[in-house]
Amino acid sequence: MPRDELRRRQWYKLQRQLEHAYAGSEFWRQRMDSAGCPPDQLKSLDDYSARFPLLKREEIGAAEAVAPPYGIFPSVDPKLAIRHHQTSGTSGAQPIRTFDTARDWAWAAEMWATGAYAMGVRAGDRALVAFGYGLFIGFWGLQYAFEKIGCTVIPTGSFDSEKRVQLLLENQVKVLACTPTYALRLAHTARQLGVDLAKEGSVRIVVASGEPRPEATKRKIEAAFGAFCGDTAGMTEAATIFMFECVEEPGGCHIIEADYVEEVLAPDTLQPVGYGQRGVRVMTSLGREGIQVFRYWTGDLVTRVPHSECRCGRTWDLYQGGIQGRADDMRKIRGVWFMPSMIEDVVRDFAEVDEFQITLEKREELDTLVIQLEPGAGLEQLDLRDRFGAEVKRRLGLTPVVSVVPPGTLPRFEMKAKRFRDLTQQPTPA
Amino acid sequence: MSYEIQRLSEAEQQQLQRVYDDLKQLAQSSVPGVASAARAALAQVATALSGEGLAYELYSKDWK
Repeated sequence: MPRDELRRRQWYKLQRQLEHAYAGSEFWRQRMDSAGCPPDQLKSLDDYSARFPLLKREEIGAAEAVAPPYGIFPSVDPKLAIRHHQTSGTSGAQPIRTFDTARDWAWAAEMWATGAYAMGVRAGDRALVAFGYGLFIGFWGLQYAFEKIGCTVIPTGSFDSEKRVQLLLENQVKVLACTPTYALRLAHTARQLGVDLAKEGSVRIVVASGEPRPEATKRKIEAAFGAFCGDTAGMTEAATIFMFECVEEPGGCHIIEADYVEEVLAPDTLQPVGYGQRGVRVMTSLGREGIQVFRYWTGDLVTRVPHSECRCGRTWDLYQGGIQGRADDMRKIRGVWFMPSMIEDVVRDFAEVDEFQITLEKREELDTLVIQLEPGAGLEQLDLRDRFGAEVKRRLGLTPVVSVVPPGTLPRFEMKAKRFRDLTQQPTPA
Repeated sequence: MSYEIQRLSEAEQQQLQRVYDDLKQLAQSSVPGVASAARAALAQVATALSGEGLAYELYSKDWK
């Protein structure tokens, strides 16, 4: 679709969304009135981006806290909901609670289906979803998307990694869905069982989601499975994904622009940045009728590039490298900008490293990057610490303090790996 | 991989719209089994209509 037609369609949907929110949600009505931009006062997409206030996560929490679980935020009666999800709240913040109507959930599955189809998933494929199927929305929508496409889905909510490897082999599974971290863990488990998944397995597509996925991690997953690893990302506040990597592998992910208006803003000035410049992703969903989000400050760091950088023919722009990190994880260390994903990029080039942890600490009054590396059993090498430190210095211009810990020491993750802690922000113990 | 675009014919577009309109009426049926089936099916058809750029509606607010 030509981009001018795409913009017209976005504006049409946005107008309907705003009218619906104004009529149905006390929160949105108050917000639009106080900002002087009720639906009939907005003239265009550009006008919307210039004047509509940004929405922060804490504001959703506050609106829901008025009358839990959903408060004054929803735009339809929550009795119309067919499912409930919420964020984990593990960061200490109040969890965000959301629901979906039947219409919303069909749309959420459609977004996942859009991404899965673009990765090459087709009717008749057998797909295994390695995910906990709980309150967290995670891969729930993909389960329904696979069904919609016509795949046979193998849900493995309560299974351990050994059982999942067994299921992959027994069922000649073609499509695997999980986090990038977990894909590597499955491959590791298979190796421990004496199985080379690239040779003995049938997986041809790995749908990776739930974490930033540096290019080196993609390459490592693809080598381990002998498969294409496509990136996606979604969020509970949207119910589903907003971007996906197509089989042409353009070095990034297409934004589903038919159903989202996405802006990229400079974190300091809140002004839009141009193509090729990194900023924070601001999301407007054009899909849901129950829980609506307009100009949501996601905290995701992205770099937008034009659709023409991909050969697939879609006219949807791309986020180069997908989600590159979180704005709140970005730090300046001794004058050098740092993101945890930069270390992951280095780690994935060290085949002997199975797991890692990063902390930012004060040492002799200086911010210091401290990295723990855990090699695989039998892969310990005396010079790993020095080689890794030198490589970080070469690529990032930072000199970290590196230590090597025994195999099996560091925590493992199935969803949302937590490998970075900033201890400089914590009060010093008495 | 081929990227040939598949498009609905005009007749198919009309069929899709008719199915949507019929399901929307059936979704208000007093027969519970019919209403629930129609609502579930309507949700799927609505995504197809929206995906093809034929119609876009936030309809559930009208339901009891």
